[in-house]
Amino acid sequence: MIPSVECVGITKSFPGVLALNDVSFSAMPGTCHALCGENGAGKSTLGKLLAGIHRPDAGTITLDGRLVHFDEPRDALAAGVGMVHQELAFCEQMTVAENLSLGHLPRRRGFVDRRAMCERAEQLIAEVAGADAPTIDVRRPIGELTVGQRQLLQIATAVGSGARLLVLDEPTSSLSEHEATHLYDLVARLKARGVTLIYVSHRMHELFQLCDAVTVLRDGAHVATRPIGEYTEAEIVRLMVGRTVEGYVRQWNDTLLDHAAPTAVAGNTKAPRLTVDRLSSPGKFDEISFRVEAGEIVGLAGLVGAGRSQVMEAVFGLDPAARGTVRVDGEAIDIRTPHDPMEHAIGLVPEDRKKQGLVLGLSGRENLVLPTLSRFASATLVRRPAERTVTQQYFSRLRVRAPGIESATVSLSGGNQQKIVLAKWLAANCRILLLDEPTRGVDVGAKAEIHALIDEIAREGVAVVLVSSELPELLSLSDRVLVMRQGKLVAELPRETNQDTVLREMLQ
Amino acid sequence: MRVAVRDVLGSQQFGLTAIIVLLGIVLTFAAGSHTDAAGVTHNNFLNSYTLIQVATDASFFAIMAVGATLVIVSGGIDLSVGAVYAVAGVTMALVLRAVGPVSPTATVLIGMVTALGVGLLSGLLNGAMVVGLNVHPFIITLGTMWVLRGISFVSSHAESILVPPSLMMAAKATLGLGGALSPIPMLAMILVTIVGSIYLTRTVMGRHIVAVGGNPEASRFSGLRLGRVQIGVYVLSGLTAGIATFLGASFYGSASCADANGYELYVIASAVVGGASLTGGKGSAVSATLGAILIVMMRQAIRTMHLDQNYEWIIVGTAIIVAVVLDRHGTTLLARRMARRATKGVGPADARVASSEAPPSVMVS
Repeated sequence: MIPSVECVGITKSFPGVLALNDVSFSAMPGTCHALCGENGAGKSTLGKLLAGIHRPDAGTITLDGRLVHFDEPRDALAAGVGMVHQELAFCEQMTVAENLSLGHLPRRRGFVDRRAMCERAEQLIAEVAGADAPTIDVRRPIGELTVGQRQLLQIATAVGSGARLLVLDEPTSSLSEHEATHLYDLVARLKARGVTLIYVSHRMHELFQLCDAVTVLRDGAHVATRPIGEYTEAEIVRLMVGRTVEGYVRQWNDTLLDHAAPTAVAGNTKAPRLTVDRLSSPGKFDEISFRVEAGEIVGLAGLVGAGRSQVMEAVFGLDPAARGTVRVDGEAIDIRTPHDPMEHAIGLVPEDRKKQGLVLGLSGRENLVLPTLSRFASATLVRRPAERTVTQQYFSRLRVRAPGIESATVSLSGGNQQKIVLAKWLAANCRILLLDEPTRGVDVGAKAEIHALIDEIAREGVAVVLVSSELPELLSLSDRVLVMRQGKLVAELPRETNQDTVLREMLQ
Repeated sequence: MRVAVRDVLGSQQFGLTAIIVLLGIVLTFAAGSHTDAAGVTHNNFLNSYTLIQVATDASFFAIMAVGATLVIVSGGIDLSVGAVYAVAGVTMALVLRAVGPVSPTATVLIGMVTALGVGLLSGLLNGAMVVGLNVHPFIITLGTMWVLRGISFVSSHAESILVPPSLMMAAKATLGLGGALSPIPMLAMILVTIVGSIYLTRTVMGRHIVAVGGNPEASRFSGLRLGRVQIGVYVLSGLTAGIATFLGASFYGSASCADANGYELYVIASAVVGGASLTGGKGSAVSATLGAILIVMMRQAIRTMHLDQNYEWIIVGTAIIVAVVLDRHGTTLLARRMARRATKGVGPADARVASSEAPPSVMVS
């Protein structure tokens, strides 16, 4: 029997990151094939290669025995490969029928044939939706539908345009339990129709329920492809972990003496540097409580969407809906805007440095002093020489490689951009630093430098909360690891913990 | 030193000044000359009277263009400045008429406080609505443009109102230049431009405006108060309209509800010809004033060269598009030059990363 899809020697690198390294696997027609791996293992990249969103640097993709090359998603669609994304892309204000026919609207005498369009949409939905699924009015705007219904539509579009291979990227991550069961039924029906599914998910029980075979990736490399029945959940988790630590290893012995001591001494009543008490935000996270001592690095682990970044943003005053108490040195602070935590020397290095971290059109100097500009002003005028001195100082301390402090940040590499974002808050003399994915998209050299810097600032007495999707990074830097799952804090692990344990808490 | 020279030559202000000077030279040759009663030959363009006249014509909307630049740099737009000009002028004239005859100094002071005050309040209204109602500034200021224009119609009964002559005497003071030369509006324009430029580039608030316009999200993550910045720029835009109307109404001796009709577009055009980016984050007060002068000179050129006045719109419209395209093209070239410099400055390993970087998808799979 000819495999529905066969990948041989797929390699894909992005600047600074080898996302996939010589990956080969195949899936039989009418089966559901699971793709497993940690955050960053290369699952989504592999899915996007199949859907024509990225092009492989090396390797071949064969569909039903035919060698294919995709330059664009439409090539993949034409060859019968559809992808259902984590973010569902639709035109919100247009109707269901219009969305389903976008790109090939039926025409009659130059006008859109509304009736034909609606009939086609209803037919498409009927083909994939089960008999028990709630009916969808194709004349309603798509914005009124639930996430589950939209997903159904995306699958309907793909199947309707003749997809024989469907990539589902974390399809249940934003569905309710009830909606998820509809999706499981749909997957079963698609399999029965001979459609092959590539199923990317972190939810183990789903994989065992739906999938026939599993491919495990680790650090962009292929680890195993087997019928799923040959494994247990624990065995799959074990195959997923074991990523290598690259770059910096923290000097535990020094730091232990420095900052573990104050809390260990009996009778010490000193309040922790940062206390977060029952912080909640509707629909994002619930009753989050933790504390961070001065000089301590607390890691926050969790899957994408577990609510880690949202907690960071709430502490930094970016979530008006958040309720709860934040204390600095035992004193409750009123947080409404980022200005309030900044008054208490709290800084946030955000997840997305290009959107949230930097004003890319401005120079390194202008970005670096942005949060603290008023400190450089005397008689309302900003003193340029003082700005330059401080910027120079942080550029050399963080070894920012740039033509100069005046060059626009847009022209710098990811690692150097990230160093400037870090420098912004170091220059603000923060006593509490919230770091959200501080090394994402950063090359290996800069990564090690940033790790060393985080260790250094902790040793200087800064309380650090570190969010990272890279477990080795998190484990090598953190004094304690907190694990979040679906908006809740589910575990607190000592630094001696291992990836296996953390990952199991994250997945459950 | 060589770097400084290159920076000056490459700067936008230099480019604009060069175009203005070039146009001036062309006009000097094209205008021809005449001989006065005393037998002295005068160039029809290059004489102090015409030059100050050009500067005076430019000054009223150049002053507003400085305010508009602040709004545009912050990522907003203010369509109401022409209407603010009218309502502030009419209010000033009505207040002065109600006050009756007082000393010249008091007249000037009352006039100034009224015009600037109304401008400021109108700006505050715009800013508060943009921030408070969270509606796009284009729509808010489009609305206030008509509302304020309407208020000036109603309150003036659509009549032109004379202002006390002491105001005109002040605005047309020759400051010792003699003859019919009145440099006050020009000097006011230069002063507002300098203050605006220092404000935008050297003060905390000005730098915050640039940052918010460049990336509001990153500015918020840096603890900047976006609402305060937004309200501030509309207040300042209203204030410059107040200054312009105080000078304009004083200079021409009257205020009317039809004053400065369509000025908002001249004002925005000046800022944009001066290189301000409508997407925010980029713009200069000096360039906006140079942009205003350039537009007035093009109008002057039509007059001097005895072309049909009706061509003015076509020429000004074309010039705006050409200016912006040239400016954008210049930016691309500059970016390319900068990228080349960046790759030269850092090691080869970094240069590779500088070109692009891993999309976030790599990390979230």
